[in-house]
Amino acid sequence: MEWLGLAPAQLAWTGALAGAAVVGLYLLRQRRRRVLVPFAPLWARVLEERPSARLFERLRRLLSLLLQLVLLALLVFALGDPRPAGASRRGRTTVLLLDGSASMSATDLPGGRATAAREAARRIVRAMGPDDRMLVAQMDAEVTALTPLTDDSTALEAAVTAYRPRDTGLDLSRALRFARDVLRGNAHGEVIVVGDGAYPPVAPDVTTAGAALRFVGVGRRGRNLGLTAFSARRYPLDRSRCEAMVELQSWSDRPESVVLTVSVDGAPIERARLRVAPGERVQRVIERLSGGGERLEARIAFEDGTRDDLPVDDVAYATLPERRRARVLSVGEGNRYLEAALLLDEYLEVVEATPATAAAALGQGRYDVVISDGVAVTVPPGVGWISLRPPIDGSPRPVEPGLFSAPAGGAIGFDRVDRRHPVTRFTSDLEEAHIGRVARYRLTPADRVLGSGSAGPLLVAGEREGGGRFVLFTFDVRESDVALLVSWPVMLINAIDWFAGEDGSFQSSYRTGTAWRMPVPAGEREATVETPSGRRVRVPVMEGRAVFFGAEAGFHRLHAGGSHTLVAGNLIDPDESACAPRATLSVGTTRATAPLPGRPGLRREWWVALLAAAALIVVAEWATWHRRVTV
Amino acid sequence: MGWLDWLRAPKRPDAVEGELFDEAFQRKLEYLAVASRRLFAGRLRAERRTRISGSGIEFADHRAYTPGDDLRALDWSVYGRTERLLVKRFEEEEDLTIAIVLDVSGSMGFGGRARFDHARRLAAAMAYVALSNLDRVTLIAVSTKVERRLPPARGKGQIFKVFEFLRGLKPGGETALAEAARTLGAELKRRGVAIVVSDLYDPAGFERGINALRYQKFEPMVIHVTDARDADPGARGDVLLVDAESGDGREVTLTPALVAKFRDAHAHWRREVEGFCKSRRVAYAPADVEGALEDQVLNLFRRSGLVD
Repeated sequence: MEWLGLAPAQLAWTGALAGAAVVGLYLLRQRRRRVLVPFAPLWARVLEERPSARLFERLRRLLSLLLQLVLLALLVFALGDPRPAGASRRGRTTVLLLDGSASMSATDLPGGRATAAREAARRIVRAMGPDDRMLVAQMDAEVTALTPLTDDSTALEAAVTAYRPRDTGLDLSRALRFARDVLRGNAHGEVIVVGDGAYPPVAPDVTTAGAALRFVGVGRRGRNLGLTAFSARRYPLDRSRCEAMVELQSWSDRPESVVLTVSVDGAPIERARLRVAPGERVQRVIERLSGGGERLEARIAFEDGTRDDLPVDDVAYATLPERRRARVLSVGEGNRYLEAALLLDEYLEVVEATPATAAAALGQGRYDVVISDGVAVTVPPGVGWISLRPPIDGSPRPVEPGLFSAPAGGAIGFDRVDRRHPVTRFTSDLEEAHIGRVARYRLTPADRVLGSGSAGPLLVAGEREGGGRFVLFTFDVRESDVALLVSWPVMLINAIDWFAGEDGSFQSSYRTGTAWRMPVPAGEREATVETPSGRRVRVPVMEGRAVFFGAEAGFHRLHAGGSHTLVAGNLIDPDESACAPRATLSVGTTRATAPLPGRPGLRREWWVALLAAAALIVVAEWATWHRRVTV
Repeated sequence: MGWLDWLRAPKRPDAVEGELFDEAFQRKLEYLAVASRRLFAGRLRAERRTRISGSGIEFADHRAYTPGDDLRALDWSVYGRTERLLVKRFEEEEDLTIAIVLDVSGSMGFGGRARFDHARRLAAAMAYVALSNLDRVTLIAVSTKVERRLPPARGKGQIFKVFEFLRGLKPGGETALAEAARTLGAELKRRGVAIVVSDLYDPAGFERGINALRYQKFEPMVIHVTDARDADPGARGDVLLVDAESGDGREVTLTPALVAKFRDAHAHWRREVEGFCKSRRVAYAPADVEGALEDQVLNLFRRSGLVD
């Protein structure tokens, strides 16, 4: 006899623990029900006459314990799935890998490739021998076991029916490693792959480890044009417009004419007719797209009205960051360099004030940013603050007395610039600056010096006590040529964007089959992703980003902190777009063969008999109890 | 309504005190009074006699003289004939005192209030019939001792005092009829009929209680309040049988055979009670809580020595 379910050691532990629990409960005895009688001495008359009956009751209770232990033993044995000796050695252990990648949604076969794959898998399940066992798994960018190793053909067929391709690529190496781990220790292991065979090469270390490799090819042809890249961004200085980059590639064996349409919030804003040669890759940058929407969609269609075999890569999605007009209060005696720089961004609403009117202006309206130019201002908590050489009594950080000039014959310049920070991004000419005098501030360890020179820090960014960010220029712009550089307005607009939380690293779309790390509002621990099919998934937040494995192309909604943002997911996988099926499959030097039917015979499963015996005992116990035989 | 709501719903009280002696019951009492008058037909007040005194005018019998006896009562003619000193005894005509002894022990409250209410109604009916016959009626509630007592009263108008007395009783405590009878003997100067209304579940034995009344010179009658449910607790399997009065428990496995055996034992015990009463010439009437109250009262009258 051999055990195909739990191992003997596991059975022994299970039986011992459960048996101990049964005996323990027996010893503890069931708490007796209280029954009130009007006159107990009358009962005493009856009970004193039956000493032999008490002995019989004890025996009957012992019988009850034995009955429970027998039931337990039958159930534990059934868990072990005992079989006649050698049954499993005769049978095969199969891992059936169903290709669930995006290319399986191709429509070159009636009902699609997935339908054909299901039919092929069902035929394989039905051809199993009585001693064969099988595990069904779906492979795409991940591997998902749909059943345990079982010989239950009903469960296996149900898993095959439940299989659905996803909008992701395929990681065959991962799937074969999974199969190898499942088959470890099984003498007659085999791996059956059902799919279109259009797979990228597997990693060199991946083998089937002695297991037979079988392959059932699905698919007829692969006429396809697919979008292989799509991204969009708003212009930093003109947020009402954006530009998009589209790349498409042809896997058709003849030249194709397609129409590329780009839409914003469902309204087409760009249409281009393209002729693509076989294997050709075409890139288009579509500039100055108008429209203030968030949803960007690129779609290709054959000019002659026909459709290619893989629709999922004919459309790509992207999102644009939300446009928001920032309110800026500029307090100072007048600085034309500053005014000119702020005029460059039409999405700024700038209010100018003198030091005398600053308090009244702050009291009247809610501002996102306050710029203080050499004057003291009380900036409310939570508001961004750009401070241009502040005086001693009105600075984000304490100021040391005096100003420091450049040594004779030299000038102060930006010797070191930290361009990883959003404020200094795209400031290519900052090192060319010449500065006359700088003030020195006592910074905290949390402050970040973005630019420094021989006289110390020149540009500092940090967080204010009580909330809000600040950017501190330690010099007077008018005593330098910084205002003449391209970096000057860029730094100001970067700083305003940074205050507003607009991230320059905004990602317009994510690729399916990968882990998406999406920014969420600060302090959130959990988020919910609503997929295009309407499924809601709770996802963890790590380091300020919600982590989600995207497997569906389209617009997703990320809910966190009472608000939601749009997230786009695209297939963008040339390996999947190259969906022409292949008739063979090779892993290393192993070439896959066709599946073989199982050896005919009679299935002998003892667990059925064990459960039937347990059920019989339960029925007998029930009947005798209700007939008051064992009460 | 969900089952939780059903659980939370206020339970109906077992018996509302106001309904214990309702109008229907009072009409029933009138019927009983009339019916009992027929049974007592031809008898007048003060017609019943006792032999406890020698001051009457109708000769009853003799007894031996003992020092201290009134010498005027000596029957000199007998002495002259036989030279034996005998005292003449005369039957004294007096009002009959009827003491209704109601058991208010915990077992009387077993299984809801039905048993106790039935016993109280029986006591009220007996009292009403007696009051209607111009007898002197007193009610005594007993458990291990005399819990409460209604002083002797005469006349139908006193029935409302009886009702009030009975309404104020609550079952509780253990049963010790013998102890209660001894206390009763000490407290009650006049002897007469003692009607015991009880389930007779006395751990010391019901015989002791009845004998104690007899030894106290009472003429006991027994209304045995019975309930068929006492013979079968209803439950089966491993249970803890708890005595309603003492709270003592005993672990038992109730099988159908054991319950049948107990049923036999219970029936045997009832026969024992009846046999004991017969052998001691004590009027005995069983009164099942489900039975008709008027039949049970009249049954007792028929069996008692109150009527021929």
